[in-house]
This record gives sequence, C-alpha cells and structure tokens, in this order.
Amino acid sequence: MGRGKQWRILIVLLWMAVVVSACHENHRPIALKIGLAEEPRTLNIWLASDANSRKVLSLIYQPLYVYDPETLDLVPWLAESMPVYDAQALSYTVSLREAQWSDGTPFSSRDVAFTGRLIQSFRVPRYASSWSFIKRIETPDARTVIFFLKQPMAAFLSGTLSTPIVQDKEWADFAEIAKTTEKPLATLINRRMQHPVGTGPFTLEQWRQGAFLHLKKNPHFFGSGKTINGRTLGPFVEELVYTVFGTSDVAILALKKGDIDMFWWPIQPGYLSDLSRQKKIRLFTNEKSALYFMGFNLRRPPFSDASLRRAVAYTIDKEFIVSRILQGQGTKMFSVVPAENRFWCCTALPRYGDGMSREDRLKAAYRVLVEAGYSWAVPPVDAAGNLQPAKEIRLPGGQPMGRFTILTPPADYDPHRATSGLMIQEWLRELGMPAYARPMSFSAMLDQIKGHHDFDAFILGYGRLRLDPDYVRNLFHSKNDKSRGWNMSGYHNSTFDQLADRSTSEMDPFKRQALVMEMQRLIARDLPYIPLYKPSVVEAVRTDRFEGWVEMLEGIGNIWSMVQVKPVSNDGA
Amino acid sequence: MGLKRFIFRRLVEIAVIFFVIMTILFVLFRLAPGDPVSRMVDPSMTPEDARLLMETMGLDQPVWTQYLYYLKNAATGNMGISFHYGEPVSHILMNRLPNTILLFTTSIILSALLGVFLGKIAAWKQGERIDTLMTIGALFCHTLFLPWLALIMIWFFAYWVGWFPITGMVSPEVWIDPDAGFLIKALDVLHHMALPLMTLILIHFGSYLLVMRSSMLETLKDDYILTARAKGLDEKTIRDHHAAPNAALPVVTSVGLSLAFSINGGALTETVFTWPGLGRELVFSVSHADYPLAQAAFLLIAIVVLLANLVVDVLYAYLDPRIRY
Repeated sequence: MGRGKQWRILIVLLWMAVVVSACHENHRPIALKIGLAEEPRTLNIWLASDANSRKVLSLIYQPLYVYDPETLDLVPWLAESMPVYDAQALSYTVSLREAQWSDGTPFSSRDVAFTGRLIQSFRVPRYASSWSFIKRIETPDARTVIFFLKQPMAAFLSGTLSTPIVQDKEWADFAEIAKTTEKPLATLINRRMQHPVGTGPFTLEQWRQGAFLHLKKNPHFFGSGKTINGRTLGPFVEELVYTVFGTSDVAILALKKGDIDMFWWPIQPGYLSDLSRQKKIRLFTNEKSALYFMGFNLRRPPFSDASLRRAVAYTIDKEFIVSRILQGQGTKMFSVVPAENRFWCCTALPRYGDGMSREDRLKAAYRVLVEAGYSWAVPPVDAAGNLQPAKEIRLPGGQPMGRFTILTPPADYDPHRATSGLMIQEWLRELGMPAYARPMSFSAMLDQIKGHHDFDAFILGYGRLRLDPDYVRNLFHSKNDKSRGWNMSGYHNSTFDQLADRSTSEMDPFKRQALVMEMQRLIARDLPYIPLYKPSVVEAVRTDRFEGWVEMLEGIGNIWSMVQVKPVSNDGA
Repeated sequence: MGLKRFIFRRLVEIAVIFFVIMTILFVLFRLAPGDPVSRMVDPSMTPEDARLLMETMGLDQPVWTQYLYYLKNAATGNMGISFHYGEPVSHILMNRLPNTILLFTTSIILSALLGVFLGKIAAWKQGERIDTLMTIGALFCHTLFLPWLALIMIWFFAYWVGWFPITGMVSPEVWIDPDAGFLIKALDVLHHMALPLMTLILIHFGSYLLVMRSSMLETLKDDYILTARAKGLDEKTIRDHHAAPNAALPVVTSVGLSLAFSINGGALTETVFTWPGLGRELVFSVSHADYPLAQAAFLLIAIVVLLANLVVDVLYAYLDPRIRY
C-alpha cells in the first residue's frame, strides 16, 4: 500500500471519528453536567480529605442534621426532629426519619450507632474528636438513638450530629476484618469503594477514573417529594455527570459552549467580565466561611510585643487588599469568626486603621509604637507631624530591630496571599521596619510554622471553617502550642484558656455565645492573628437547562441545590 | 565483544543505576520539607489525627526502616499504597499508563514520520523557497509555548469551530450509553485524541525535520549517491530509497529515546487537555507529597528509559552493519 494511500486512510478514519462521535445520538434522561477542577481521589468516606471527593460523597452519605441555607441553623435531615437534651442523664435523644439505603434496606438507629462506634474504635482522623466524648450509644428502637456524653460538650450538635452516617451492613464485616490486621485504620481508610451505599439523593453508577463520574437519582431517597425545612425536595434531575477540567480556562470554555451546566469551583476575577456578558450564564457570588490572616510568632521578639502587633494592624490597608488584590471579590475581616456566621461573630471589635487614610494609619501606628518605647534613627513622622521616610526602628531596649520575614505561599499557589505579603512588607517599611516578604512552598511553609515554630510572621488562610466556633479555641488555646499543634503563634493567655474551656462545655447556646464573643475580644486585643480578608465564592452556571440553585454560605454547590435543581420548564427534554 | 555479552553487561549496569535512582528518589522526597499530613490545613484536625495519619502512611517509622521497607517492597513488585487514593500505586499507574502511551507514542511516531518526510524534501530542495519555508516553519512550531498553543487549538477547533471536544479522553454521554458499541467508543477516543495529537505533532515535527534535513544533506554528499546517479536512477528513487533510509538513522535514535521518555507524558499537555495520563499524576503526587505514587512513577520512567537506551544500542547494530559490539 502506498504511503499516500495510508495517509488518506488515516485522514478518513479521523474524519469518521469526528462525524460519528458528533452524531452519536443519546436517548438517555437529561443529565446535569458538573465540571470539577480536579478528579475526586477516593470514594472512601474515611479517607476523603480533598474537596472534590467530598463534592461527590456529600450526595451519597448523609448526616442526621444539616445547615439551613438561610439561617445557618442546624435542621433535621436524617433525623426527624431536633435532639432532646436530658441534662440529668447528660444525653441527647434523636428520632430518625423513616428512610432507606440506596440498596433498598431500611435505615435504622443501628446504622447511626454503628457509625459512631466505628469512628471511636478506629479513631478515624477528622471525625474522632467529635465522638471522643460520647460515653455510649443506645438504640431503644429502630428509629431512636440516645447518645450519652462523658461530659457536656457544646460541639456535639454541630460536630457529632453532622457526621455522615454509613451503613452497618456495608461496613460491619469489613471493620471486623480490619481490626485483625496489623494497621486497622490503614486497612479501613484504604478500602476501595466501588459502589458506596448511602441514603443521599444520588448513587454512584459508574466511575471511569480520569474521565468522569456518573451518578443516578436514588429511588429510595428519603426526601423525595417531601417538604423538609420548607423546601420541596427532589432530586428533579435523573442523572449527574462529573467531568474534570485541567485548567479553569478550558472549563470556562466548556461552560460557554454548553458542555457543562455548572463549574463547581470558584471563578477567578479575571474571567468575570467575560462571563457576565454571556446571556446563558449566570454568576452567583456568595461568602465563604473562611479566614485569611497574618499570624505572628509570639514566642520570640520582635512580635512577642503586643504593641508592635497592634502597630502592624494599623498599617495594613485591608480595603486596598480587597479592592485591588482581590479585585473586589472578597470582604475585610476584623474577627477570626467570619461575619456571615452571625450568631457567633463578635462585631464590637477594634477595627485597627479601618476607614483611615494612609497618612492617618501610619500616624496611628507611630503613636502606638512611641507609647510602647520604640524609637527611630529617623522617625516616620517629623516634629511638624508630617510623614517622612523612616529609618532604622529601634526596640524599646534601644537595639535596632532585626530583619524579619513574612512567610507567604508562592504566587502560583495563591497570588492573593503572596501579593498581600509584598504589600504588607512595603507598608511596614514605611515605619522603618526591616520587613521581608518571603514566598515559599506551601508544605515547607507549614513545616516551618507548625512543625518547627521557626518564623517571625506569616500569611495563611483557612478556606473552609466549620460554622461551630470551636476552632477559635483550637487556634489559640495554650495547650495547642506544640509541634504540629494549631496554636501556631504560641499565644498564651490563661483568661482565654478558661473562657475556651468553658465554651466547650457550655450547653446553653446564648451563654456559649457570650463566651465566644469574649474570646474574640481577647484575640482582637492581643492580636496573635490579624484577620485580613476572606474571598468570595463566585460560581457560574448555565441558565438554559437547569434552574433552582440554592445559594448559601460557601456557594451554590450544596445538598439543597442538588435536591432542588430542575430542568428549565421550557426544556424539550 | 559479542552482542549477548554486551547485553548482559548493560543489564548489570542498568540494575546498578536503577538501585542508585531508587535511593536518590527516596532521599529526595524525604529531604523535601513538609509531609503529606502537614498540608491538611483544617483546624478541626487534631495533632492526634495527624499522628494517626502519619502512622497509617508508615511515616512514623525511622527513615532507615522506611527505606528498608521501600527496598523490600520494590524487590517484590509492591510499590505501596497511594496516600491520597488509598489504592495500590500499581493500579493507579496501570490505569494511567495506557492513556499516556496511546497519546504520546502516537504523537511521536506521527511527528517523526512527518518530520522525516518533510526533512528529506527540504534537504533535496536545499536553498529553494520550499526549503526556507519548511526550515523556518519547523523552527517556529518547535519554539511555540505548548500550553499557549494548546489553548489556542482548543479555542479555535473545539470552541469556535466545534469540530472536536474541548478536553478529556472520552465523552461521558457515549460511555454511559449501554447502546454504544466498541466502534463508537473507539471513535470517541480518537475524536478526543485528535486535538492534543495535532498540538503535539505541531510542536514536535520540527525537531525531526531539522535532524532529518541536516542528516540528509550529509548523506547526499556521499559517494554512493553519486554512484546511484551515475547508474541513471531517477531522482525520486535516489532520494527515497538510497539517501533517506541512511539519513534517517539519527532520527531513529531520537525517536527511540523520545518514546521512552514519552511515558512520563507531558504534564502540561495532559493538564490543558485533561488527558488522564501519567504526567498529571506525577505532578499531583509530587505536589501532594504522595511518596509511594511519586516514587513508583519515577521508577517506572527510569526503568523504561534505561531499557530503551539498551534497545536503541542494539537496534543501531541491526540498522548499521558497520557497528559491532
């Protein structure tokens, strides 16, 4: 066969591929097509730590209670009503809804008790701390579970009761085998799950690794046709298809072309003007439960001095960071609890430098430093009260302040934090401080900060904070000031510790609220962290095929959306 | 030295080099700051959780113990469990490897065929306009920035014209359809492959063209070409049957090594086209400190490259009777 002929055959084959694939008719039910930025790594609920695995698993495994999208209150989900607390017995009684697993078997209190015992016996990371204070679990009947607590624990409702429940039948035998292995936990979390059985609105039909995940409506979903929390639930789509896109550029093109109906990933500011011009695309902007902050090492000078930290807080122009660096897609933060977490966020806190001009901020910082005994070779404010280039700031003892670094993640990991670090460096230099922003690899940075406590200052962020404020205790309690502990700054305040300890066991939400507010006041006064900002979540969907997305904190990618989204009424499908 | 003895000696060398690479890989990953658990920034995860996770990954053991386990596992073909997938590393690699081989091997072969074909014409027409055009075109394409070209190709052919799918290796609607047969599925893969393939060919054919042109120009000066002309053979026969096969030898070496290296995929190509290959896994495993996956992927590449070198050496002896070991 001549070469020319070979080439012609090849071209014909390619053309056939184009034509046949393009013309392949599909008579399947209409599917909601969702784009993901990365492929889920696992469908084992006990191993899944990545956001994309959770985006799939959250539709399969369900908890007893979920958050209401508007009030952010916990509302019954697999549970039928709110738990009943018995202070005498230190117990919570939960009544369960009549529900079925996706394999058709009934969901019962036995499954709830099994899930708790499994987490406790294997000490499953990320869940164990929410179950460690449970003394025992009783199941008087198939639809009642009683949790007996070792001690009062406020995080029980938001932590323990929002744990996804797994099926006794699916896991019990495997758990028994796992217990006999050399590493039971490793055996448990490395179990390959091909068809997880859940109580959620969808079940996994097929996962072609590297290509797509195909989920089908769960015919046994307990919420189908019911009105829960004032919302009539579906799901109203028969199928979900998750596909992966290596870059946002390509995902946006797929969305514009109609290859996907939703891109379940925050849209970067650079794409917004183009997308907002598209007639068939709608953008949703929601807040995140997040905290991006500047932290200090309180274990060593110069940031062991609260006055210096306060002066730094005055110099930081959060308005600039939000409007210029985040291009308006975010909000300033003044507390370590996001403002959208309305019940727990303390709004009556000092707002260092907020609303001030650059000149006023520098002067305010200068005053704080002068009062604390700092001096300069050339001060930033001259005798007439005018700003001037400062030189060589000196500590209260008279010695020059040594060079210090502000660690940030690299720009390719998070350009916002990297750029914020550079800007803060410049603002601090205006006060004569030898500040140096140093972007470094994220792992190395965390190792240096958390593992070795070898740093001066850093900029980090928590992208998905739980709504329960117990993390405030975790972040600043002195007992967590240890290698790999969450008290990265080394903050020690016995008053804070006492408040934090009381807050964990205070079962009255209003009394606990008062304690948490006071904890925030102490943090805002002592400033181991300066809260900077939290980015907004902008998500994009097509409007020509589906409607009914439910907005809430963290965006439209939530369980409420997935059970309420429906094909648009004029859709031919 | 006989060929068998040469091969045996090279195999021993390969074993030693492989052991050194294994050790270097192990050391490099342990020297890198941070660990897989330290990346998990979640204030609800306690130090006890972190300790337990480190234990499940075997990272609580002394480094020497980890190294001995690593050697023992490698000797038995067990490369461990991925920290993030919770699956044997071999499963993940074997799932991704065929995809990478399919795309990159095809692209290298087609690029080489195109490069050789155009290179011999360019050399034959040396100094003419077509030679200039081909040489400049080859240099231009070879220096294009791949992600940029890939995005332009996607934008034009997939988004604007709509001839090809935007990314991925398969269309979910085809693969979840129980009525879709093998042919439809195969054509679907071919359809998805077209755009990354065109991009890779555009980037790579230039280097083969330049090598072929340069080699062909040298070959055309040889006496046997003069002899062929003296025998009265037509120009096409001289070019295609006398000059080109000899001139293609350097291209064979280049293709051999490229084929070996092709199994690491192209992280950039696979990322932009969302091609589920080894390159993307390499990037993921390194950036997420998934030691078992990263080590196994690099070892796989190392062994293939080492063996490919051996194959090229042997192939040379076959193609050029003057070479003997």
